[in-house]
This record gives sequence, C-alpha cells and structure tokens, in this order.
Amino acid sequence: MQKSEKTPLIEVKDLDLYFGMFHALKNVSVSFNAGELIGLVGDNGAGKTTLIRVLCGIHEPSSGEVYFDGQRVTAFHPKLAIEFGIETIQQAVGLCDNLSIARNFYLGREPVKSLLGLRIFDFALMRAKARHVIGEFGLRDNVSADDEVETLSGGERQSVKIGRAVEFKNRVVIMDEPTNHLSVREREHLNDLALQLRDQGLLVIYITHDIFQVHKLADRIVIMENGEKIEVTTTDAMSAEALEDVIRQGGRAVPKKVAVQ
Amino acid sequence: MHFAAILGCIAMGQALVIMTEEIDLSVGSVYGLTGAAFITLEANLGVFGAMVAGLVLAACIGMVQATAVLKGRVPSMIVTLGGLFAVRGIIYVWTGGTVRSLPEEARAHWLMHLLGGELFGIEAALFWTLLLLAVLSLVLWRTSFGNRLLAEGGDLSTALSQGVRTNQIKTTAFVLCSMLAGFAGILTLADKPQTHVTLGELMELEAIAAAVMGGTLLSGGRGSLLGALLGAFIITSVRYELIRLGAPAAWYISFVGLVLIAAVIFNQTLAKWAGHRA
Repeated sequence: MQKSEKTPLIEVKDLDLYFGMFHALKNVSVSFNAGELIGLVGDNGAGKTTLIRVLCGIHEPSSGEVYFDGQRVTAFHPKLAIEFGIETIQQAVGLCDNLSIARNFYLGREPVKSLLGLRIFDFALMRAKARHVIGEFGLRDNVSADDEVETLSGGERQSVKIGRAVEFKNRVVIMDEPTNHLSVREREHLNDLALQLRDQGLLVIYITHDIFQVHKLADRIVIMENGEKIEVTTTDAMSAEALEDVIRQGGRAVPKKVAVQ
Repeated sequence: MHFAAILGCIAMGQALVIMTEEIDLSVGSVYGLTGAAFITLEANLGVFGAMVAGLVLAACIGMVQATAVLKGRVPSMIVTLGGLFAVRGIIYVWTGGTVRSLPEEARAHWLMHLLGGELFGIEAALFWTLLLLAVLSLVLWRTSFGNRLLAEGGDLSTALSQGVRTNQIKTTAFVLCSMLAGFAGILTLADKPQTHVTLGELMELEAIAAAVMGGTLLSGGRGSLLGALLGAFIITSVRYELIRLGAPAAWYISFVGLVLIAAVIFNQTLAKWAGHRA
C-alpha cells in the first residue's frame, strides 16, 4: 500500500474477538494517526483494555484486519508489537520489582558484547542509559541505576516506563490508566510527558476513567461500550460533561450532530 | 566434601528452577536414573558415550516435564511429583532391583579419573561443582537469558509484555536442572562405581532445602547459586556431625525438615527486613 499523509499509523477494520462464547470486541473499526493523543474511554468491561491488548500483540483477533503504517498485520505476539515500536504502559505491569532499573530498562532487548565467545551484558551501556533516564524523567536525584525498582514510587515507575518508550524510539505509546494511585504532582508530570510524546510525533493512546483529565489532554476521544466502539469525537466538538453523559447512559445519549468520524 | 559437592550441583539446578517460580521434585530420581543409565550403557557405548547418553536422557526428562507444565498447564509441583515416582519406577524395572557396578577397565578410563579422582587431596567433584557454579553464575547475572529468567520469576506478565519468550526460558531451566542432577549422578558413580535402586532417594528434598537455605525465595525471582552450594555444605556437614555425635541416622531427615522450615521463615523475615515484598 502506498504510504501517504493520510495513511493512519494504526487502522483497525471490523475487528471481532471471542473468548470462548464471550464476544469481547464487536465489529470495531477505528484508526489512529501519528502525532495524535487519543483518549480511550468507557465503563469497566467496555473492551478498552481488550482492544489495546490486540494492538500490543497479547490477543489475536478472531476476525477483522489490523494495519500498522499501511501494512496488514498477520501475526500477533508481544515481541512483534515491540518490534513495530508499540510500547504499552500499564500501572501494574512493565517493570520487575526484583530487578535493577538498568536491568529492567533493557529487559527483552539486552545489549550484549562478546567475551571469550560468550555473549554477556554491556553493563556500562545499560547503566549509562538508565542514569540518563533517571536524570531526564524526573526521578529523585539519589536514585541509582542499580537500585531495584521496588524502591521507586508509583510515579517514578511510570516515568521509567515512559523513558523507555522514548529511548527506544517507539512510534506508539499506549497508556492504560497510567495515573491511578499517583499523587497530584506525579499525575501532572505524567500528563506533561504524554503531551511531549505527542508533540514529538508519536501516537499516544490514553485509557482512563478520568473524563475531565483526558478531555483536557486528548485530540480525539474514542468511547467504547460492551465491546463496541460507540463514538469518536474531537474534544472541541463535545464538552467533558456531554462526554460523561454518553458514558453514563451508553450510546443512547450521543447527540448525532456533534458526532464526527 | 564429595557428597556436599554432589548435592550442591543438584541444588544449583533446583535454585534455577525455583527462581522461575516453579519447582522440580524429580531431581533425586533423575540423579538415580542417570547413574543407572551410565553404568548400564557403559557396556555398549563406552564411558564417554554412556555419559553423553545419560545426560541426554536427563535433558529429555526435563524437557518432557517442562512441556507438561507449560503446555498442559499443570503445576510443576504435580508434574515433577509424578516424575519422581515414574522415573524411580523406571530405575526399578531397568535394573531389576539389582546392584550394578562398573567393570574394572571402565574405572581405569581417563574420564573416570577426571570426574572421580583427586587433586591436591580434594575430590574432583568439588572442582567440577565450583566450575559449574562459576559458569552458571555468569549466565544468570551477566547474560540476557539470566536477566529474563529472573524477570520471569519476579513478574511473569511484565516479562511477557516486554516480549520475553517465557516458555523457552522455563523449559531451559527445567532441562538445565535435570542435566545438573544427571551430571551429579555421573560424578557420584565416578567416585563410587556401583549403583543401587535407591540411589538419590530424598535427594530432591535435600536439594530444595539447600537452595532455600541458600537464600532462594520460593516466590521466585530472587536467589543465589553460591547460596545453594553453601546450603548443601551446611546440610552435609550437619549430617556427618550428627553421625559423629552418635545420633541415630534417622534424626538426619528430621533435621533437614526442621532446618527447611526455619530457613523459609528466616528468609521471609530477612526479605521483609530488607524491604522486599516476599
């Protein structure tokens, strides 16, 4: 397919996903562009997380098509998603408590050098990069690259994950309720980072229950309910209050005149 | 010393498996079976061939068990408990309950001297175990495989989300564990060249006790290979100390049990004190 201005970075067409008898995603079609911050909202069980799990390779769709940068995606595995440059930031997942920041940073793509034919870590490089991220992304000054992640606060963990997304030149950063359990200051810091990522031309997909917060951040909002995409709107076209009404009442409350595709 | 080195070899494999948040109860039987295979096959394959065949057999057992755990989604506790009985049964059937020993000419083989001899008055088994400790520690702490293994034991879903092929890592850990147990069996026979159907009975428990005493957390992700080896030395020295003190041999097993419980409690307390979520 010809790559042009108009080609969305991620395009999902008629996506269906079944878990046994359970119809988790129902005929979802949506497209996301580079340099966009998308708010993905909806009630619990609406299918938000399921949809992004398809995008990051954990679930394989039962039917439908997924395109990345115009190319049809045919195989689904987290490893492949990482190779495409899709990084997912979740509250509970992404860093191993028992490993140091440097080891976590490179988990799954460790830099190695050859020593007597054995491929061992390039620890100097790992530490240097981890130190750089600690400095750039607002961690405490006394945090060392060798500290275990266990010693970090919730906000610092999210910062490390975002730092990783930036350092590995990702193209898509998916944030799944990234500000849960964060302090006010940590939340603002994280939202600033999300906007910076977008301004650098990355696609940011931001999942949250905090409608007012995402309304301030996002360019477009995708509303889901019961495994269906019920609405896509720009934040200019719909107020946060109206958005909240839509989620509360399900698709019935969508005022048709503001709906944009 | 010799027994401690053998037990340490098995305990290091066990520690690797425990670090992935699994357990291998079959190592005592695998140790015995590899020994029996080594002696029985020596007649046809020669010393070197029998050693390779024994290790391949051990690796296959590890592979089969890992497949059952990962593809069959059965807890490793159950699978390897089955392995413990099944492999022990194979030893009984294969040897017919008889004591087998290596013929004289096989004992004179250079490989047997290398594995079972002495250097500066110290048994070769200890050198082999220390060599394995050095190599495995390097692999665990300085290679991608080790990093991924620790990550998997610490947080499986994170390891998956970072694209780690978690099943491959666990399978490798099980295979390594079985092969280390098998190698320990061969080391034993190089020193005392006859086998018995009960060879290695209860050794799985001693190996787990040694690994846990050495600081490997049963919750996965944390541990030490050197610790496992030291744990083996503690268990062994207490065994011989108890015998020297004239205590009935039966007390030894009670001791291992009590120390295991005490070590787990101590580990958890220590982990809490260090601020880890154990």
